[in-house]
Amino acid sequence: MENLGKIHQLIIPLFGYKITINLEVIIMTWIVFVVLIIFGLFASRKKDILPRPIQVLGEMIVSTFYQLTEDALDKEMARKYSPLVCALFMFLLLSNWLGIIPHLEEPTKDLNTPLGLGLMGFAIAHYAGIKSKGFKAYAKEYFQPMFFMMPLNLIGELSKIVSISFRLFGNIMGGSIIILVVSYLTYSAVLPPLLNAFFGLFVGTIQAFVFTMLTLVYISVQVK
Amino acid sequence: MDFDVETWVKLAAYTGGGIAMGFGAIGAAIGEGYTAAQANLALSTNVKNSGSIVKNMLVGQAVAESASIFALVVAILLLFIDVPVPSLLKAASLLAAGISMGFGAIGAGIGSGIPGGDACLGIARKPEMAGRFTTTMLIGSAVCQTPAIFAMVVALILMFMNFGQGSLHLNWAAHLGAGICMGFGAIGSGIGSGFPGGKACLGMAEQPEASPRLMTTMLIGSAVCQTPAIFAMVVALILMFMKFGNAPLHPTWAALFGAGISTGLAAIGSGVGGGMAAGASCEGIARNPETVGKVTTIMLVGQAVSQTPAIFGLLVSFILIFKTFPESYTLSAAMALLGAGICMGFGGIGPGIGTGMTAESAVRWVARNVEHAGDLMRTMLVGQAVSQSTAIYAMVISLVLIFVV
Repeated sequence: MENLGKIHQLIIPLFGYKITINLEVIIMTWIVFVVLIIFGLFASRKKDILPRPIQVLGEMIVSTFYQLTEDALDKEMARKYSPLVCALFMFLLLSNWLGIIPHLEEPTKDLNTPLGLGLMGFAIAHYAGIKSKGFKAYAKEYFQPMFFMMPLNLIGELSKIVSISFRLFGNIMGGSIIILVVSYLTYSAVLPPLLNAFFGLFVGTIQAFVFTMLTLVYISVQVK
Repeated sequence: MDFDVETWVKLAAYTGGGIAMGFGAIGAAIGEGYTAAQANLALSTNVKNSGSIVKNMLVGQAVAESASIFALVVAILLLFIDVPVPSLLKAASLLAAGISMGFGAIGAGIGSGIPGGDACLGIARKPEMAGRFTTTMLIGSAVCQTPAIFAMVVALILMFMNFGQGSLHLNWAAHLGAGICMGFGAIGSGIGSGFPGGKACLGMAEQPEASPRLMTTMLIGSAVCQTPAIFAMVVALILMFMKFGNAPLHPTWAALFGAGISTGLAAIGSGVGGGMAAGASCEGIARNPETVGKVTTIMLVGQAVSQTPAIFGLLVSFILIFKTFPESYTLSAAMALLGAGICMGFGGIGPGIGTGMTAESAVRWVARNVEHAGDLMRTMLVGQAVSQSTAIYAMVISLVLIFVV
């Protein structure tokens, strides 16, 4: 029970400032990276017209997200943004699933990861907006429908980052807290595997998809 | 009259028991009434199969009843609980347990009546599929019960966990806040997850071959609309198990209360709204099973946007819990923090339901008009952004109350 909300941190004092590094999150993120890279290597090695299972899996993921990107944006932009969308989904999916392995923690349980990804999506969406519409048309949108609505539009835009990152963080952290408390109460009998399957696999998959789709939708709203 | 500690504990236990059963009876009664009403409607269209309709109605009502049975269990436990070491903290915990279970049972009761009623209508249309309707109804209602089970878990922890004696400092406020948060936070998700269950039953009657897809969509939709209840449970657990150290009593107690109210109330609207979108997606897939991919995507996006008020509530709660406030004995500092919670909590109810309505109609029309899915989604997002702005105003005022006033 004492582990509730505890984070292992490495604090380095540097010229009077303190640099805080969440070691566990970084290690877990690197585990996800390594697994994804190995998966990518195996999926693209020995490409064949008669694909092996792992190649089929890779092609399935890539083509599904290419199709989704093409539906939301147009064909030309889909070529540009679908690798991002696909990579984002695969990273989030593995991150959310990592917690079901004992002694490993979901990197998305730490607010820094979703917030970083949310900021990334926000920056990309606005970059895409400026690039496709030009800065003048982009800036003009903030003064719609009346010029004095500008501060509210700005806050509304910024609140998107809050909502997208807290949604993922709240779900994953909430799931892990519920698993921790229930395991503690039932002495880890019967219920925890079912809870892990629900919060880890099921909710993790849905939230990874929702995060990816929202990033894509934010891009498409800015572009059009 | 002499009020010693034991009297306070008894007082809190009886009040909590009364709240648990009194409020806990509301939802199940409404839900069962809805089931019976739909069963009557079903009987009038298909009198020949009255036997299986009545049987299904009774099973459905029994499931809908379980929310109030949870409340009954907690109420009886509260009436006869034997507190080994009475303390004022325990008194607060018992009252909070009653609040959590009583309000937490409302939504689940109402919600789990909806699949029951709609399954009766389905049996009237397709009597040969009675078994499948009953199964779908049972799964749909069981999913609706999840928020009530969360509320019961929180209530049982509050009643039986030993939080240490004498550490009254601030923990009483945290426990009451946790009870309020979980109790109110379970209402919306409970009601909301009934909609997809009901619409899935109706959809199976219309399009039996799409049953597996409808079942999957129902499960995904109702799992997503449980998110606000999960947020409420997280805030409740953090409030219960947090160590407050040397935080000053004034005005931190108001901040902890406010944290509970903020997420608890804001979760109501988001839960209902997410359920409406999920219900429409089941309806849409029954109408046109080929559109399942687009309908599910737009449902998830719509639900995600309608959850935003609950996320704002969560943010305000986290700030209220984790920020340390300077000691101040004036009432205005405490009221500002309490006001921040109330503002965000009530401010989040409307936008959650409103954006849910937008998502509902967008999802429904995508199924009929799939080639215009892109336009529908864009209109939905723009409309939701406007109705969301009231939640943003509430958040701005809450943050001003916390940081400026």
